Amino acid sequence: MLAVFKRELKAYFASPTGYIFMGFFLLICGIFFAFSNLLTASPEYISVLSSITFVFLIVVPVLTMRLMSEESRQKTDQLLLTSPLSVTSIVLGKYFAAVAVFLITVLITCLYPVILSFFGTIAVWEIVGGYIGFFLLGAAFISIGLFISSLTDNQVIAAVVTFGALLFIWVLDWIIQGIPTDKISGIVFACALAVGAAALVYFTTRNIFVSATIAIIGLGIIAGIYFTNQYFFDGFIVRTLEWFSLLKRYENFMMGILSLSPIVYYITFSAVFLFLTVRVIEKRRWS
Amino acid sequence: MIQVIDVTKRYGQHVAVDHVNFTVEQGEILGFLGPNGAGKTTTMNIITGYISATEGSVKVDGYDILEEPEEVKKRIGYMPEFPPLYMDMTVQEYLDFVSDIKKLDRATKKRSMEKIMDLVKIGHVRKRLIKNLSKGYKQRVGLAQALIGAPPVLILDEPTVGLDPKQIIEIRSLIKELGKEHTIILSSHILPEVSAVCGRVIIINKGKIVASDTPENLSKRLSGTGRLSLRVAGPEKQVLKLVRELEGVKNAEVQGVKEPGTVDILVEAEKDIDIRRPLFYALSRAEYPILYLRSVDLTLEEIFLQVTTEEREVS
Repeated sequence: MLAVFKRELKAYFASPTGYIFMGFFLLICGIFFAFSNLLTASPEYISVLSSITFVFLIVVPVLTMRLMSEESRQKTDQLLLTSPLSVTSIVLGKYFAAVAVFLITVLITCLYPVILSFFGTIAVWEIVGGYIGFFLLGAAFISIGLFISSLTDNQVIAAVVTFGALLFIWVLDWIIQGIPTDKISGIVFACALAVGAAALVYFTTRNIFVSATIAIIGLGIIAGIYFTNQYFFDGFIVRTLEWFSLLKRYENFMMGILSLSPIVYYITFSAVFLFLTVRVIEKRRWS
Repeated sequence: MIQVIDVTKRYGQHVAVDHVNFTVEQGEILGFLGPNGAGKTTTMNIITGYISATEGSVKVDGYDILEEPEEVKKRIGYMPEFPPLYMDMTVQEYLDFVSDIKKLDRATKKRSMEKIMDLVKIGHVRKRLIKNLSKGYKQRVGLAQALIGAPPVLILDEPTVGLDPKQIIEIRSLIKELGKEHTIILSSHILPEVSAVCGRVIIINKGKIVASDTPENLSKRLSGTGRLSLRVAGPEKQVLKLVRELEGVKNAEVQGVKEPGTVDILVEAEKDIDIRRPLFYALSRAEYPILYLRSVDLTLEEIFLQVTTEEREVS
């Protein structure tokens, strides 16, 4: 894992990718810092952290598009996959390399609150908490980017799809507000999920029996829940979509609340996408 | 050393490798011969664990590729058809990286690195970026990569493709040299290459093994056609008539006139008859001197045609 990590980290700075990422990130961060802190003489630094999160939409695809797609395009994945390394350690090495570049950039921005502290009092712990949230949010976005990069051998497609996925997460909270919360729509959505899962199983295994069983069990569970607790389906769509709402949990950090649950959430979120990446690579070798 | 048992690989409806069985003994150099798309690369990818077989199993040194992939992969050095090189690294950085992912310790790494660089002659380009190297050097770096960690088994997929004739001879003698210490499988679509290097040849076509023999036996079986190309100084019609009337000649046709006053003829003899001497005496008696006479090698297509029809006759 360490070898892959080191190679990826070097590769970021052997090509313009690392510099573009850091440069753009620091530029946006600097502009916001100048406008909301320096020019207004305000020590309220955490607002900078909450307003620059949009920059992830643009820079995360730059950081992750190459990771897996370039390996399969250049056929260097043959080297990695025929070496005694496990797929998990390859994926982790790449993920941590991208996260390390991100972390270095974030650490550079730590200079801004230090500058502020010379001229006034800053809420140190609030900023530390804010940075933890900021870092975890970025790391979760990177895991999505890495996953998408493993699906294609074209960097541009990986970048565009990653951008789309992040944009979807971005507007998710806004979408959630307009979604119906009544019982019927909840049940329809749950049934669609069960059928969708069965269809997915069918397309991957081509086994009609297993997928039919999954669909029947899924629908059975839905019926069971309906007869025992029918209020479960009130707002079911909203609750499901909220699982994916990375930004809602980020608000806690910005309010100065540092609790365990969003931290666990972000780490789990990244872990799930890393797991999916490993599965995609393993799957490709089987088909 | 290597056991390939009933390996099949399907891509949807298409069968890339069809129930392939063979074993490779320790210290053997096995040649894998077949046209493009015959399933050579797929078979090699399955042995090295890059892709998995739909059916069947592969064992290297007693370890199954599916059950103990790490043990198998440790024992194999693989050089794919397109060497898996990182263009943004220098040769030295790249080989260091490969030693790291093959989990070599520092001392072994240092010791083996110099030896390998000497062996494939890339020591003087070690500081250069791989993307700036010529095709021949890239190929050598690819080979060096396979040699790192001194794996007992080497799998080389078309190791001489894209090289100039001098480099091809170098690489071939290098492979022969390596064969003293390693078990080697190498693929090619050039028969002379395989017969020059390998102790045994497997011919594969459309995913199936059609022949498996030593190169000597194979060429004996294939030399039966006895086709000769010759240039004779003399008038076209008379020469052709003379040749056709000769006993043992199945067919003769004019290939063209390359030198004024001469004619080039392609002669096909009956099976198992050596017509070179009668041909010589007949033409010299008629005072049509032979300027050159050589036997024509079979093209790969013809070899397959012959081997496949022969197999059918046998079975």
